[in-house]
Amino acid sequence: MEQRDKEAIKRIVGEEHFTDELIDLVSYSYDGSDHNHRPEAAAYPADSEQISRIMRLANERRFPVIPRGAGTSMTGSVVPAKGGLVLDMVRMNRILNIRVPDRQVVVQPGVVYAALQKALAPSGFCFPPDPASGKVCTLGGNVATNAGGIRGAKYGVTRDYVLALEVVLPDGRIVHTGSKCMKSSSGLDLTRIFVGSEGVLGIITEITLKINPKPTAFRTAMASFETLRQAGQAVTDIMHSGILPSVLEIMEENTIRVLREKSGADLPEVAALLLVETDGYTEGEAEYAVEKVVAAFQDNDAKTVSRAGSQEEAEKLWAIRRAVGSAAGSLRPNNLSEDVTVPISKVPQLLEGIQEIMTGQGYPFVIFGHAGDGNLHPKIMFDGSDPKQAREVHLLIDKVFQLTCDLGGTLSGEHGIGLAKAPYMHLEHDAVAMELMRLLKNTLDPHNLLNPGKMALDQ
Amino acid sequence: MTSEKHPLLEKFTEQIQHCTRCGFCQAHCPVFGATGRPALNARGKMLLLKEVLAGKIELNQELVDSLFQCTTCASCATNCPSGVDVPNIIKAARQEMVGLGTCHPAFTGMNQVLDEYGNIYAEDEPGDFDRERGGKAEVVYFMGCVGQYREEDATEAALDLLDHLEVDYILIDEVCCSGVLEDVGFSIKPALAEKNIERILATGAGTLVTGCPYCYRTFTGKEVYAPLREAGLEILHFSQFLARQDIGVSTDLKVTYHDPCDLGRHCGIYEEPRKTIKALAPNFVEMPSNHANALCCGAGGGVRGAYAKNSLAMARRRLDEVEQVGVDILLTECNSCMHNLANAKLRAQKFQVMTTAQFIVELIEDS
Repeated sequence: MEQRDKEAIKRIVGEEHFTDELIDLVSYSYDGSDHNHRPEAAAYPADSEQISRIMRLANERRFPVIPRGAGTSMTGSVVPAKGGLVLDMVRMNRILNIRVPDRQVVVQPGVVYAALQKALAPSGFCFPPDPASGKVCTLGGNVATNAGGIRGAKYGVTRDYVLALEVVLPDGRIVHTGSKCMKSSSGLDLTRIFVGSEGVLGIITEITLKINPKPTAFRTAMASFETLRQAGQAVTDIMHSGILPSVLEIMEENTIRVLREKSGADLPEVAALLLVETDGYTEGEAEYAVEKVVAAFQDNDAKTVSRAGSQEEAEKLWAIRRAVGSAAGSLRPNNLSEDVTVPISKVPQLLEGIQEIMTGQGYPFVIFGHAGDGNLHPKIMFDGSDPKQAREVHLLIDKVFQLTCDLGGTLSGEHGIGLAKAPYMHLEHDAVAMELMRLLKNTLDPHNLLNPGKMALDQ
Repeated sequence: MTSEKHPLLEKFTEQIQHCTRCGFCQAHCPVFGATGRPALNARGKMLLLKEVLAGKIELNQELVDSLFQCTTCASCATNCPSGVDVPNIIKAARQEMVGLGTCHPAFTGMNQVLDEYGNIYAEDEPGDFDRERGGKAEVVYFMGCVGQYREEDATEAALDLLDHLEVDYILIDEVCCSGVLEDVGFSIKPALAEKNIERILATGAGTLVTGCPYCYRTFTGKEVYAPLREAGLEILHFSQFLARQDIGVSTDLKVTYHDPCDLGRHCGIYEEPRKTIKALAPNFVEMPSNHANALCCGAGGGVRGAYAKNSLAMARRRLDEVEQVGVDILLTECNSCMHNLANAKLRAQKFQVMTTAQFIVELIEDS
């Protein structure tokens, strides 16, 4: 970018909504991953028209543009790998309308996830996917990474709720995809192309989301198992039992040990813990489901089974689960946290395989995740200031990705690909699929200006 | 990894590296809330310091607007999943910067003013509050700079209340406790501390009551004020003192309470102020954010002086919460919070902002 480009951007967004100060450039160099690269400037656009003008300018002057929400991505997907202009969507943070009779909300991309839930609460509705970063992450980021969360087992991921989008294309044209109807079989599904596209195909400027009535009754139960196999079979039995738990979390022995040692959690020394929530619109519905879950625990010789008798007791159990990330993270200065996903029945195999890869390698690790949708989070701790450690840890992660793909799994259940997993795309996607993805990118963005360097799409 | 150039900062190297860049602090940081600028929240600051320690950038003037724009409210640290002690890291970074000759001019000025005047406002004459100073009494009431020079009405009310309660108290010729200097890159001034210590101890009092939460933090926590503690003096914030009193008035007015960061998150004093207020005003409601999650008023850490516009914007966000709960009165126990919140209040906002002491004195006068 040259000075005249910066001046042109200032004319579009207004001088006070542009920055190339060092403090901002450093801040926009990072996300939640270990990747970083500095942009040359950042702007805070007010609407799709301004973004359209910026993209026309970027095309003419050939500088990269990287849309950004709260920057909580775990893969480097908002890191400006090739410099350029960051578009921080913080000013586009309005909930445009909530239409309960249509079961829809229309939001701008900078709306914080928690702000939408708060706005929906009085109507008794909610937006079901629930990423762990919900109190800060933005809905634009959720759509761009197809974010998931802890309730994926029953409620799916962001993709399942996106009905329509407004998107500014790399050449500045504005496209409206999808339909504001609950069902539509009209034409190719352009909406799905942009969901999870990590800002490489277009900049999402308006989102129409489907909303659900919020369940009002909940039950929580936890069980411990002497072997991973028993826990795995319990998950399978729950899936066969005719109910869908809203949450079905698994934690293996390393995780349990860290929780005991670092968070003082009162947990047995076992191979696995399952933590389950059931929900419903009546107490009876939630109770019926949790009884099925407890039966599956008992049928598989659970060492301990506990049921929360009150909201406070349930909260204590969930606090244990929430403590995992920070308790493990405190073991070393750096960590790699992945989100590999396999078919639900393959969870025990993936767990055992990852344990085998990581045990005895000199790095503390934990594995926990959403057994109810096959999504696991192996997290390995190391000291990133030592290049040898960083190299060794990445080699271990290579093996985890290979194993996941061998089990018919996917590199990412909910974080996306970004920079971190770009080198592994070929493990999951065949050559034709990669070619199609690159063809699409090249057709929409022939100069590779939108968020370049991500998802192995660069030609 | 470390440059060994910044000894004060390097003590926190491990802490800074423990910031996993999750960005969760953004949900709580009042500066981010008012500006929407991620360079100003705790993660933005930790990233700058990480690059400084790695030798990628210099700890220079370009970083001032981030590192000196923090109210030290500690909401980031309270909510950090990785337990990063952000306020103390910021303090160390500021001290390091001042050592290198880099600082926000407002704080350089404050440090100089305190050498010359003994109060942060460069005032020559304190108000006399029509009370004697420096005699013998059971209790010393320490007003603090804001109470003595900016929120005189609040101090007057606190003193009237002490009179009403027939407390045997005395004022002293106080100078700034200078605790705030440590927050903005400088050091507590021993000469000022000595004056305060000498004058407080000369009263023969057994109890020191501070009107200002920051003075309370300084007297109870700072090494230079150890002689006060060693003399066996009981040090209380005014809200703690009030919680022990039988006030004997009440009202139907709807009231809420703003937790000052220096009293709440920094000292864990949440319940004593509420005990007094709930006894006076049974129609008490909490704001959406309260106790350890209370939103900061935007005045602390020198931000009101150095970044006035953003400081007021932070106060307005807090006042939005007051509006949401629809009260008649917003109470607080910090003159500095009071000052900022009252200044930021819009004419259309009909509730009143006052200290608990002011509120009680009004109720007594009306009864």
